[in-house]
Amino acid sequence: MEKVLEVKDLTVSFDTYGGKVQAVRGVSFDLYKGETLAIVGESGSGKSVTTKSLMGLIPSPPGRIEKGEINFEGKNLAKLSDSEMTKIRGKDISMIFQDPMTSLNPTMKIGNQIMEGLIKHQKMNRADAKKRAIELLELVGIPKASERINQYPHQFSGGMRQRVVIAISLACNPKILIADEPTTALDVTIQAQILDLMKDLQQKTEASIIFITHDLGVVANVADRVAVMYAGKIVEIGTVDDVFYNPKHPYTWGLLGSMPTLDSTEEELVAIPGSPPDLINPPKGDAFAPRNPYALKIDLEQEPPMFKVSDTHYAATWLLHENAPKVEPPESVKRRMKGFAKTGAAPAAGDKKGDES
Amino acid sequence: MARYVTQRIIYMIITLFLIATATFFLMKLLPGTPFNLEDKLTAAQKAALYEEYGLNDPLPVQYANYIFGLVQGDMGISFQFDNRKVEDLIMSRIGPSAQLGFQSLVLGTLLGLILGLISALKRNTGYDYTSNVIAILGISIPSFVFAGLLQYTFGVKLGILPVSFWDSFKHTILPTIALAIFPLATVQRFLRTEMLEVLGSDYIELARAKGLKNSVVTYKHALRNALIPVITIMGPMVVGLMTGSLVIEKIFAIPGIGEQFVRSIQMNDYSMIMGTTMFFSVLFVVVILIVDLLYVVVDPRIRLTGGKE
Repeated sequence: MEKVLEVKDLTVSFDTYGGKVQAVRGVSFDLYKGETLAIVGESGSGKSVTTKSLMGLIPSPPGRIEKGEINFEGKNLAKLSDSEMTKIRGKDISMIFQDPMTSLNPTMKIGNQIMEGLIKHQKMNRADAKKRAIELLELVGIPKASERINQYPHQFSGGMRQRVVIAISLACNPKILIADEPTTALDVTIQAQILDLMKDLQQKTEASIIFITHDLGVVANVADRVAVMYAGKIVEIGTVDDVFYNPKHPYTWGLLGSMPTLDSTEEELVAIPGSPPDLINPPKGDAFAPRNPYALKIDLEQEPPMFKVSDTHYAATWLLHENAPKVEPPESVKRRMKGFAKTGAAPAAGDKKGDES
Repeated sequence: MARYVTQRIIYMIITLFLIATATFFLMKLLPGTPFNLEDKLTAAQKAALYEEYGLNDPLPVQYANYIFGLVQGDMGISFQFDNRKVEDLIMSRIGPSAQLGFQSLVLGTLLGLILGLISALKRNTGYDYTSNVIAILGISIPSFVFAGLLQYTFGVKLGILPVSFWDSFKHTILPTIALAIFPLATVQRFLRTEMLEVLGSDYIELARAKGLKNSVVTYKHALRNALIPVITIMGPMVVGLMTGSLVIEKIFAIPGIGEQFVRSIQMNDYSMIMGTTMFFSVLFVVVILIVDLLYVVVDPRIRLTGGKE
């Protein structure tokens, strides 16, 4: 498969009054053409900061990329100036934001907000840009598009606004689309519509999508591969099947165990005890160790490297070391894994027609 | 829209009526009469004057007469200036006040916008701190103290600008600065806060994510949204300029309405006090109406009740 983006050892920190917050600590991953990579993890795990660095949208100061490379079409985006990034943002890489209620400019007509990017990147004149804006609105399923482009955001519902935001992000046929929890602020029926729309558009445009979420149900529904982040690092990465049927990292077990499913009437949801570490002084060793019932002595001393499970599946836990004791995931997670197989929540490759289960 | 404006005008008339009533009775509570300083008059002569001006009538009758006159556009006759009509006196004095108010509003607002913008864009730098200090001084130093300082520094010490009086444009500079410092400070504080909030909003990040240049993001997307709340304070600010000018005109000996108003109160010139108060009140309610209508122009989310769309 063709690689469109390569992230190597990305490290991002923020200077605050309390000290330097190490939000992202050495993240590496590849993104292939036409695939959807989901990044999951709890709040503060560095998901959004990682993707904002890809777009050069880290507010600086206080934030800065300390080291690492973001290789895209022969350029290292981490080293580009802000004005050079404006040629890539919105054209090659674009972004869908979390809250459609606040992500559109309230005093500007929808049409103008879509046309701006077209005029800037595609050098269109206003008339052509307007035509294209109407096409885009029709593409994302907004009826009466030619009338709607003259309306303001407050005249649209939340779901419709998110469609507009998607239209803006697709305007210049980006190669990479970053979706930062695009359905979190929407109600469930609208969520499903927006997810379907995104899958549909991905097939038409062949864009690669990075999908940030903490909703594992959504991951199973849309993603090809999953990266699990914890405390600014990727702790497990693999295909959806790898991560859902054969999870290796205890944190992934915790996430799967805390995910509600429709058929799990008899059990209680499992919570992961404790809270995420302070990223001003990240702990020595494995950051998850204090919350990990399977932690080994070495977890407190030394950070685990990425162990290879298969060609597509890697996880950073000492449990995969050849000298480590053999540990099985907890029973509840095993039942969960079987449950996915039964309900098809984590669909087999090729079958991407999941419902919200 | 037309319905809304009509409705507002009716409310304005009610407001003005209430102001007229309250001022009338408060004014009558003041000790003295227009003639109590005229030492040369005998008691009998004073009594004759009271009779002639209707000041011996019971209060409700005086009140009714006044309101009746006001409705017909008759503000009465001044007691202190050789029986001249109040509206003529106000008109003869309006020029300097209007010029001073306009100059200081433009100067103060423009400088306030520039300083506020610099503060927000260069947040937590030397520029920001300097701009904030200017604004805080402007809000906390009373305009009459500031006026005195200006007169002393530029008029007395440096001798480059006239200390007082109203003659050439040069004479307008110091009072304009003295009066402009308040709108300047208010606009700076407001714009800085609003701009910082807008710059941190999601739609600004989306605008940046579209690949727009920083200048386009700042001026086209952020500034317009940050200016909307600033319009809210324009109404009170214009009123502040009007009342502020009462003191400033006195200090700089400017023959404006404010200076005349202060003298009228000292002299118990009933009809002038009422006339000037009503003049300021009309100005005030009209300014507020204009500000409300401006909202609709700048913010598409606001639709006036009674309007159709």
